[in-house]
Amino acid sequence: MNPWFFPEILLTLAGVGLILADTLAPEKIRRRVPLFALLGAAGILVWSLFPASRVLPDSWLNLFVSDGLSAVFKPFFLLCLVTVIAMAARYRLGADESVRGEFLALPFFSTAGLCLLASARDFLAVFVALELVSISLYLLAAFHRAKPASLEAGIKLLVMGGLSTGFLVMGIAWLYAGAGTTEFSQLLLKQAGQGSSPAVLVAAGLILAGIGFKVAAVPFHAWAPDVYEGAPTPITAYLAVASKAAGFVLLLRVFGLGAFALESMGTSFRPVFLTLGIATVTLGTLAALTQRDLKRLLAYSGIAHAGFMILALGTRGEGGIGTVVAYLWAYLLASLPVFLFVNELERLHGSTDMRHLDGMGRREPGPSLGLTLCLVSMAGLPPLVGFPVKLAVLANLWNAGETPALVVAVAMAVAGLGIYLTPIRVMYWEREADAIPARRFPPFLIGVMLAAGLLNVGLGLQPKFLVRVAELSLNPTPVVQPTGK
Amino acid sequence: MNLGLTLPVLLLIPLAGMILIALGARPKATALWTSLLNLVPGFLASGCVLRSGELFFGPASEPPRELFPFHFSLGMDGLSLPLVWLTLIVTWTAIGTGREGIKREKEYYICLLLIGAGALGAFLSVDLFYFFSFHEVALIPTFLLVGMWGHGDRSGAAWRMTIYLMLGSMVLLVGLIGLFLALPETARSLDWRVLAETLRANPLEVGAQQMVAVLLLIGFGTLVSLVPFHSWAPGGYASAPAPAAMLHAGVLKKFGLYGLLRVALPMVPDGWKDISWIVGLLLTGNILYLGFASLQQRDFRWLLGFSSAMHMGTVFLGLISGTVLGLAGALTLMVGHGLSAALGFSVAGEISRRTGTSWLRDLGGLAQRAPRLWFYLTIAAMASIGLPGLANFAGEIMIFFGSWVAHPVLVAVAAWGVVLSAVAMLRAVKSLAFGPMSPAVQAETVTDLHGVREIWPFAVLTAALVVVGVMPLLVYGPARPVLERLLLP
Repeated sequence: MNPWFFPEILLTLAGVGLILADTLAPEKIRRRVPLFALLGAAGILVWSLFPASRVLPDSWLNLFVSDGLSAVFKPFFLLCLVTVIAMAARYRLGADESVRGEFLALPFFSTAGLCLLASARDFLAVFVALELVSISLYLLAAFHRAKPASLEAGIKLLVMGGLSTGFLVMGIAWLYAGAGTTEFSQLLLKQAGQGSSPAVLVAAGLILAGIGFKVAAVPFHAWAPDVYEGAPTPITAYLAVASKAAGFVLLLRVFGLGAFALESMGTSFRPVFLTLGIATVTLGTLAALTQRDLKRLLAYSGIAHAGFMILALGTRGEGGIGTVVAYLWAYLLASLPVFLFVNELERLHGSTDMRHLDGMGRREPGPSLGLTLCLVSMAGLPPLVGFPVKLAVLANLWNAGETPALVVAVAMAVAGLGIYLTPIRVMYWEREADAIPARRFPPFLIGVMLAAGLLNVGLGLQPKFLVRVAELSLNPTPVVQPTGK
Repeated sequence: MNLGLTLPVLLLIPLAGMILIALGARPKATALWTSLLNLVPGFLASGCVLRSGELFFGPASEPPRELFPFHFSLGMDGLSLPLVWLTLIVTWTAIGTGREGIKREKEYYICLLLIGAGALGAFLSVDLFYFFSFHEVALIPTFLLVGMWGHGDRSGAAWRMTIYLMLGSMVLLVGLIGLFLALPETARSLDWRVLAETLRANPLEVGAQQMVAVLLLIGFGTLVSLVPFHSWAPGGYASAPAPAAMLHAGVLKKFGLYGLLRVALPMVPDGWKDISWIVGLLLTGNILYLGFASLQQRDFRWLLGFSSAMHMGTVFLGLISGTVLGLAGALTLMVGHGLSAALGFSVAGEISRRTGTSWLRDLGGLAQRAPRLWFYLTIAAMASIGLPGLANFAGEIMIFFGSWVAHPVLVAVAAWGVVLSAVAMLRAVKSLAFGPMSPAVQAETVTDLHGVREIWPFAVLTAALVVVGVMPLLVYGPARPVLERLLLP
């Protein structure tokens, strides 16, 4: 059997299977659907780590490619899926309990879209993959129908997502008009041959705006806090990590490596990226400082992180691309456990307000320690995994000689400490809640939070994993050949 | 037997202590025994350093990688030796003065052990990435210690201190990045042994050196509370619980000075010389401005905070002296100041815990009620004034002699600083010793230090001050070859 697209095909099949099982299977099996979903997602994740799953024919209709970047990001998206399924299985849907099957199945379709996106090498493929992702997400964001905020989130995501798709399609149309092709490598050749025509520049701008919505870059960020706050927490995690990463994969493919590689566009697009990055990191950080709701805080913090990555992308060369890839992995490792914690907090207390963290350090020492480590990692302090990637961003900015951006990045990294220390402060030293609620964190979650914290420490002290990932992402083939280096 | 293994053991023992405490061992006893046990690998490692000059653990250096060229290795030479010992002793005594039965005891002792381990890691790291990382480890425990167990405006002090130190660290980080990227691509390394050799053979161009030196000065200077980046220090120390202030003022602050000795002086020597007039100007600010400010303090802990920040000026004078004597003096004063600051803050903590106040005017007559406390307080004050026979004097006098040729005016300023600090300290000692007993001192709760269990941390610190004061060679002897290499053209 030829393992074409294996993760994608498996994901789609698993999604269909889950829906069927939820509809047709007898009650005894139905109750097990969350377990099946989790096992399925974990199984596909493990399979995606085998090199065999990455083999693709050289060019499949010139639409998809299997290279280092896709090899790095398919496991990334699948890891997000596993976490989101685990969260979704514990999320309280209230009156909508009867449709939990769909709540678990839709992320599979969305992830299939993300995996396709990681491989896309043509704007047509990009568009199809993105729609698969987005339409599932519109449904998921509004899934908690009993909660008005969730419906509002769904509508907002729909409208803003539609707008961003509009930008993207318009950009693709201009591109085809200007360059006569939508395939990345041919576009790159055309650029190198004759320079950018005005139509292509307009196209690049429109496409950048379209992707800007996905990664929540200022000025396309306004949807993020409301949607993050309203959407069910597992979906918030998915939007914040997987969907944002998808935007960056696209940015890397389009502006980093192929199509409009910044090199071939001359310097004209780098200032745009640096300006976007400065605006994004500044607004995200400063707005996050005053948030009292954890999901809104994470939304703005996500905007700030996007800003750091855009700044890295705005610097020259492969260092910038490798940095973004490593940054995304570090962001995933630090923020998914935080969302896991928030999901559980919401389950216990019914909301994600920061006051529920009062005295958490005493009530739940294990998860609190894990959460603290992950938050400190997000703040970018050593010896946690968030530090080497922030270091890499700063080093890239210095290397490119972008002093204003460097100053802003440093200032925002310092101010960012305030964002993540606030929840820590509430957990450990604000007035301590006298009544300990009867419901506690389940033991497996305590283990997961502690393991996640330790993972952040371990990878921060020995960041070779990130180096390997960054190197792999720049590889033209999906498997690293042992070289003489 | 490979004694290099003792270096990671120095870091693993506190880690084991933290894990044991987290799992439910008795917090204070565990912390105390682990920090005492840590002296053993300390002895073994320093024996090796004294015999062969240096001791390393881990790979020497790897071929440069494009993205992240760091590798974990530890090392100890004559320069890090005294600072490692300072850390070991202050950590041990700080935990010794910690209270039993304090609220959230587990977290308290874990935080203290973590600060000590972070400082040890920073002094032992050979790779600049880990050198920086280990220092930052102490940031969050300091934030929690000041915020949870501090006095007065603890929340404000914790935020100010943390954000300020983070700002300094980030500027320092940018300086290190600049240094690294200024190297030619084939020579890029983060190992300070390799870096120092490379840069001695092919120095950077002057412009790059100056740029890096300024960034390092601001970065390290903020951590050392060099004026005008000092404002976090006095208030932070006044609010911190005594063991945290001991560790921070005694040990962590020395990281900035150690960093200048380890990075700025050997790697950007010309840049450091070019900006030494700026350093001279700023250290005058430390000595005079903070000296006069300390005269005005009416709160004992604030007085100690200001005086601790003030003495950093004298150390900076040693760093720009350009002589081995001056550098050796700076190193000796770093150790002496670490010990005397630790002693001062620990006594201040005991006094304010017993009397419930740290206002000088409320503490009159303490000497009659608690003569031992007053005795150790006087030792700390005398050390910080620079009384011969105590460690600080040895450092200061070497700095004065070593800097006289290059900076006679600054030596005069620093000598004037000794006067200022004498006035401030003697006034405090006097107001605690004499006069009618104030109501706070008469209270039932005020007792003197009793028994070995209470006295030993103070006795250990005092003994260390005397030993270094009488035999400063112990500190600067092993470091001398390293310091001489620093000044080679």
